[in-house]
Amino acid sequence: MNDERELIALLKKKDREAFKTIVETWQDMVYNTALGLLQNAEDAEDTAQEVFMQVYESIDSFKEESKFSTWLYRITVSKSLDHIRKKKRKKRFAFIQSLYGKNDELLIDPPDFFHPGVSLENKESATILFKAIEKLPGKQKTAFVLNKIEGLSYNEIGEIMKLSDSAVDALLQRAKKNLQLILKNYYKLMLK
Amino acid sequence: MPDNFNKNIEDALNSIDGIKKASPNPYFFTRLEARMQKEKGIWEEISSFVARPLVAFACICLVIMVNASVIISSEKSNHDTSGQNNELATVDEYNQVSSTFYEFVNTKP
Repeated sequence: MNDERELIALLKKKDREAFKTIVETWQDMVYNTALGLLQNAEDAEDTAQEVFMQVYESIDSFKEESKFSTWLYRITVSKSLDHIRKKKRKKRFAFIQSLYGKNDELLIDPPDFFHPGVSLENKESATILFKAIEKLPGKQKTAFVLNKIEGLSYNEIGEIMKLSDSAVDALLQRAKKNLQLILKNYYKLMLK
Repeated sequence: MPDNFNKNIEDALNSIDGIKKASPNPYFFTRLEARMQKEKGIWEEISSFVARPLVAFACICLVIMVNASVIISSEKSNHDTSGQNNELATVDEYNQVSSTFYEFVNTKP
């Protein structure tokens, strides 16, 4: 904890070594969260870079009222959700363009996402689950990813999302119900 | 069939239990630093271009010219409206207000 404070104090002075240590300590956490939300390795790397760039630029605004990791999670989640929004907007624009005869590669659906942390025996089911996660609303998706992929407790998720434990519980219940519904529809379609 | 159906859903929901954390490709910090340098370079280029005396002087001249043209055009329009006011006053004096067809038809003797 003292080390963390020292690092933050050094980063406020724009110390390169402190920044390097911070990046190397938290890069997996940031990348894994972004990957869970974005489901694309390239986008996750891009977003993780943007997160650390913002950390470097706005470390002075970190008041140390919450844990540093909580602050990092918040930036990661907001950057990832922003990225998803931008991508959706681009897709919509590409669709409109295609109506006027222009080809755009964005229209082609990306290949199925496979998270490298999933065991091979679960590969197929996990791919289907990730497709379903993609369809969840932003808050439910965030809570589910933080809980299932990052392994955070309700309390930690609550701190990140600024929600009470019971609100996080309700959010996760809704996410699971929606996932069950999406999966049900998916398997129904597959049976036809 | 429904058993199999429910099992598939359960399997999918449990498929990420015990998932391992993913890591970015090696040399993440090097790539990050390169990107930061590149973006810093772009901003530095822009700011050094704007800070050049010739560019700054040109910007000031442009602002002065725009201001002058706005003042001149507003003065011109003031002139025009004052002419219009005189015309209206004459029309008022001689009761030459142009009326609509409706007013013309409904004029009481």
